[in-house]
Amino acid sequence: MNISELTFDEESKKDILELYGKTLDDEGFIVEKDNLKQRVLTQKGEEIHIEEWGGIMKGSESFVKSDIFSLLEIAKKLNENS
Amino acid sequence: MKILDKLRNIFEGKFRDLLANNVFKLFDFSRNTNNVIELKDGQKLSLDLSKATDDEKKKIKAEILDFLVQEENDILLTNKSAEKTKKIKRNLPEDKDKELLAFYKDKLKPEIYKALEGALVVRRTYQRGEDISELKRDISFRYPEFGNNLCNLVTRDYFDDYFKELYNNMVEEDGFNIISYQDEVERIIKSLPYMVFIHRYKSYEEFSGEVKFKLDKLRKYGTEKLKLHGLGKENVETALKITNEYSKDDRIFIEKYFNSSKTIITIIFRFLRD
Repeated sequence: MNISELTFDEESKKDILELYGKTLDDEGFIVEKDNLKQRVLTQKGEEIHIEEWGGIMKGSESFVKSDIFSLLEIAKKLNENS
Repeated sequence: MKILDKLRNIFEGKFRDLLANNVFKLFDFSRNTNNVIELKDGQKLSLDLSKATDDEKKKIKAEILDFLVQEENDILLTNKSAEKTKKIKRNLPEDKDKELLAFYKDKLKPEIYKALEGALVVRRTYQRGEDISELKRDISFRYPEFGNNLCNLVTRDYFDDYFKELYNNMVEEDGFNIISYQDEVERIIKSLPYMVFIHRYKSYEEFSGEVKFKLDKLRKYGTEKLKLHGLGKENVETALKITNEYSKDDRIFIEKYFNSSKTIITIIFRFLRD
């Protein structure tokens, strides 16, 4: 497991979401494109606002948030593997 | 260079000169000026999905993103999150901090333990001279009632000393229950009864009032000391100014501790109980 050498910037977030069949609802939360009422959840069951969205990892396209607690879990896994 | 090979396949001869180059170290999705693929900063290949055809988008998803995430087990992050994750990884708890976490596991409420883990990363990041503002803000945002206080307490070693001592004292009492320790830690973190942390988000008058309020309370009901902490030249000056208010009070003994560059101060007000 590694952080990909391919990253994306804030402006490209919606483009990436579209590739994954997602979009935003009226409040800016990530939702399924074919069911706008279904909000995408993290592995911990949290809804994700576009501004809090940090990226994607393996596991049924697991969406991750950008806060210290979400990224700390990733950092710990990366550390175990290095 | 797997990404480059896949881009050559997807764009089938387009951008031939650019993609013939093998020096790219970085790739990202961002907005370009003219084309779907452009070179930026000399070594970064930038892909602008808004300029790609539907077919190109499908191929990018299947042959690059799915390949990286599902097959290679890579984590696809925003530029900011990638840098933030690297920063957190550099500053993960080690040695003493790992022992600290082991000590407090099952002794603290889960949310406080989690905030402690985050705060230890913040402390290590700060000690290495890196910016901590966003990390600290995340902790305060997730735990608005105690996040900021807890970060301050960790930075000033309260979890290394004070809360350990508190546990060791409480555990000796008859009928000790871990819940009472957890509640007491939570109470102290939320209300900070015997400490004041000076920062730039409150006025001098508010801090002066807070110190007076806590001194009055502690004098009557609590321990014999109040600690005043300041970080940064401005906050050190504020702390000293507040201390001057008590210079003529002969029931209060004041001790001041600075670091060598006088950017960190701890002031201890020791007083006789009424």
